[in-house]
Parts: sequence; structure tokens; C-alpha cells
Amino acid sequence: MFDQSDIILKADHIVKQFPASKGRTLTACNDVSLEVYQGKTLGIVGESGCGKSTFARMLIQLDRPTEGAFHYRGKDIVNLSGKEKWLNRKNMQMVFQDPQATFNPKMKIIDILTEPLVNYGLLNRRHKEEKARELLHMVELPAEFSDRFPHNMSGGQRQRISIARALSLEPEILVCDEATSALDVSIQQNIIELLVKLQKEKNISIVFICHDIALVQSFSHQVAVMYLGHVVEVLPGSEVGTGTVHPYTQALLGALFSVHMDQGKKIDSIEGEVPSPLKLPKGCPFLNRCGFCMDRCIQEKPGIREVAPGHQVACHITTV
Amino acid sequence: MLDINDLTVRYGKEEPILKHFNLSMKKGEIISIVGESGSGKTTVIRAVLGALPGTGKIVDGDILFRNQSLTQKSKEEWRELRGTKMSMIFQDCQATLDPIRKIGKQYVEYIRTHSRMPRPEAWKMAVDMLVKMRLPEGENIMNSYPHQLSGGMRQRVGIAMAMTFQPELLLADEPTSALDVTTQAQIVRQMAELRDDYDTGIIIVTHNLGVASYLGDQLIVMKNGRIVDQGKRDDVIDHPASEYTKTLLAAVPEMEGKRFV
Repeated sequence: MFDQSDIILKADHIVKQFPASKGRTLTACNDVSLEVYQGKTLGIVGESGCGKSTFARMLIQLDRPTEGAFHYRGKDIVNLSGKEKWLNRKNMQMVFQDPQATFNPKMKIIDILTEPLVNYGLLNRRHKEEKARELLHMVELPAEFSDRFPHNMSGGQRQRISIARALSLEPEILVCDEATSALDVSIQQNIIELLVKLQKEKNISIVFICHDIALVQSFSHQVAVMYLGHVVEVLPGSEVGTGTVHPYTQALLGALFSVHMDQGKKIDSIEGEVPSPLKLPKGCPFLNRCGFCMDRCIQEKPGIREVAPGHQVACHITTV
Repeated sequence: MLDINDLTVRYGKEEPILKHFNLSMKKGEIISIVGESGSGKTTVIRAVLGALPGTGKIVDGDILFRNQSLTQKSKEEWRELRGTKMSMIFQDCQATLDPIRKIGKQYVEYIRTHSRMPRPEAWKMAVDMLVKMRLPEGENIMNSYPHQLSGGMRQRVGIAMAMTFQPELLLADEPTSALDVTTQAQIVRQMAELRDDYDTGIIIVTHNLGVASYLGDQLIVMKNGRIVDQGKRDDVIDHPASEYTKTLLAAVPEMEGKRFV
């Protein structure tokens, strides 16, 4: 399914550390290597504090990695000059969790939608109205919305505007950070259907960050699971239901509540909590909550290795 | 134990937010109320607790708790029930705990508000309760500030406080929505144990259909202030009466569910 020549963006051993009080360092991302393929969706799941949002911010160059590199079509994009960085943003756009916070409340939808194009000098002001109508049509909203203000719209409609604005520059990569988490379930499903449709039409790559593994696997070609700044498992979305190997991925699946599940079923979730990213354990990051912890896990951090085509796992279980 | 008859609530002069709500609950039963934002689900439990915010008012209907009408009670009588016979846990206890006082001080104050108990005994009672609610280092927790605890630990403190006087009715407003999935699973399991161990009746309001369906003996689905589906959990899940419930159930992402790609 994945062809090496279709890699459009490559994260190469990304490390991000932040200085913390008392001379400590907080490691938000630790040696993250991921690949984004043309026209495919990479879903990143994990709990709060696992570094998934920090990764997204670095990916679209809002932050700079401490170590490692991002290669976009083979070109390093970490060390670009300001001008080049600005030009490169055309290729990658982002949709945030709360669109309200990303819109200027005093701007009308028509101006919100066309601002990026006007900024890049790609749209003559005379054609704004036409373009806004076209973009609204793309996200299945009525053309009259162009004269509204963001506060006159529902959360789902605002998220559609965010998507339309992000796609107005025809980027190759769309990064969504918890883009549906603030929405009700039925609206969430509509947004996912829209993203999937637009991806097919335009052949864009999507990086979708989310805490809900059931949602992510339903439309991702590739799913990466993060824990405490580490990528612990990467596998095709269609295999999440049956083929997971890492104990943490299995714990995430075990913590899901399905509508039809038997009420007598015991919930198999892991105990304890994520350790602080200020003092990472020497061995495996998951060792204090893992039911399979061995001596080797305490001594040595498992590296990520391929166990099947398109399936990588960072766990010592795979080697015994 | 709890009967709500034809309850209608409105804020100020606006359209009622909750219309003709009915519910009947036995001792030790768990009722899940689901609905999307603005459906009036939180208003139900706030009305039972007598804690409608601002201009909120019960304009019609009655709430019977242990065969006594709550709406006829004076503020003082209602307050006596709260915290002892019925109690509430919130989405995030961070908002209900005072950030600049240690947990212990607040917990002891809470206990002493509801019973005349010397401080050392109240302290001991609090620590015992924390330990029972799976916070083994009770003493440590008592000496911590709320911000020093994780979200899951804070929620356990909230549950421990709410369960101190072994209420017959526990009202839970989105108790797991602010938590991570693995922590959510731990808290849901704990709520199921409360019923088994203390025979506490629970009304849980949540937008997570999976959690609602796992816990609830009865399930109530709300939309725009009205009940659109109500009944035994299996009946509602397997044979929903309204189109809305059907759409909602179909939209829940599930592992065995629909794949888009």
C-alpha cells in the first residue's frame, strides 16, 4: 500500500526539549520518526502530554526541533530562512481544535476565507466574493454564509470554515490537531466524511492528531501511537482492530467503551498514570504500567523496529 | 427512591431549557442521560440538587426524593440533604476545590459542615475514604494542593468527598470528560463499584454513549430539552424509538464500525 516514492514528508529522529525550572529539561518528543505519504492520512493517537501536539507544531514550523530534521519532498525545512519558511507554509496548513480562537471575531467569513490567498498575492480583491462562494461550496455550506460573522455559526460550521480556509491555498499537507474533539458525535462524523471526500478529490495528505483511537483508525491509512514523547507503534489503520502488538496500544483499545458492549464485561485498563516527562525512565517509557515488564525493559529502551511491512513496534516483546 | 414528574425548567424569560422531564429511579440503580451540548441534560441534575445557576427556575413539575417533594422544601432543608443524602461530582474537581488550600483542610471542613465531628476524627475519616477510593497514599493527598495532583487523582478526591456520607443518590456531571481514555476507564470501573459496594443510585450525565451504555441500567436520550428515548439500556440501544437516537448511535466511532477509507 505504501510506496517509498510517495513519501511527501519525513520526520527524521525528531527530539524536542523544553527548559524547565531548577535546570531540568522536559522532553516532549523523543526520537520521533514518521512518514507522511501523498494522498494518505497519518493518524497520531496518544493521551495528553504524549507530545502529539508538539510534534504537529514542529511539523508546520511553529516550533523548532531540538534535534532531527523534517524533509519535505527531500528538502530540509527546519533550517529555512524566514522568507522560504513563509513560502513553504503554502504547502502545509493546519486546522485547530477550537476554530473560534483562530478567527478574528470582527472579520466576516468572506474575509476570513480569502485572507490567506490575498496574503500570498494569489487573489485579486475583485474576485473575493466568487472565491469565497467556491470555498463555501467545497465544504458544503450555503453561499450566504460569506456575510456572517463567526459567532453566528455553530461549532461544526465554524470547523468547516477552518477547513475551507486551510485548503484555500491548495496545500499538499493538512494538519488537524484534535479538529473534531470539541464537536458532538454526529457533527464529528460529518466533518470526518468531509475530510475523507476532500482528500479523495484533491489527493492531499492529512496528519490527524486525536486522542480517540476508534475514531482515528476509522479513516487513517497509517496510525502512530505515542506515549510519553515516544512513538511506540505504527501500523496500517485497517489493522488496528486485530493486529496491534504493543501493550500500550492494546491498553488504549481495552479502555474503549462500545455502545453494544456487554455490561458484565470487565474493563481491562491499565492502572497508574503516565510518568512525568521531566524524568524519563532509563528503560522503556511504559515500564511502570506494563503487565509484561521484564528485566531488560528496565535496563534498555526498546528501539522501534519493523515487525511486518508497514508495522513498526518499540517493545522488547517482539524480540523474544 | 427518586421520581421526577413533568419537570420544566427555564432560565429568565427564555424558552424552557428542559421540558416535561420524567424519570423514576430505584435504590441502587444507575441511570445514564446522554445528549449533545445544549440538550438540557446537565439542567436535570442541577435541578435535583437545587443548584440551578442564575435565573434558572423550576416552573412546573415536581421532584420526589424518598417520597418527599424537594421543590416544597426550604433552602435549609434542601441544603441538609445535599452532601449527605445526595451529592455530586463534577467534570473537573479543579473547579470545585479551592486552589490555594490543601486538600486536607478542605475535606475536613466539608465533613465538619455536615456533622459535628472533632477535627482529628474528620481527618481520619477523610484519609480512610481516600484509601477506599483507590488513593493509597491518603495522607500525602491530604497534604497536597489540588494542582499537585493529576486529573485522575483529583477526580478520585471528588468521588471520595461525594461518597463520604454514603449518599443514596450520586449525581455525576460528565465525570470522565476531562480525563484521558485510560484514566476514564479506571473511573468508570470505580463508579460501577460504588453501586455494588454501597448500593448508591447514580445519575450520570455524559456525552460519551459508550460510557453511558456500559454503566446505565436505564438510558435517557435528550435533545433540545426533551426526552427522545427512554427505557431499559438494552431496549434503547437495540430498538431506539427515535430517528435521533439512531443517528447518534450510528455516529459513535467504534472499532468494528464503519471505515471511511
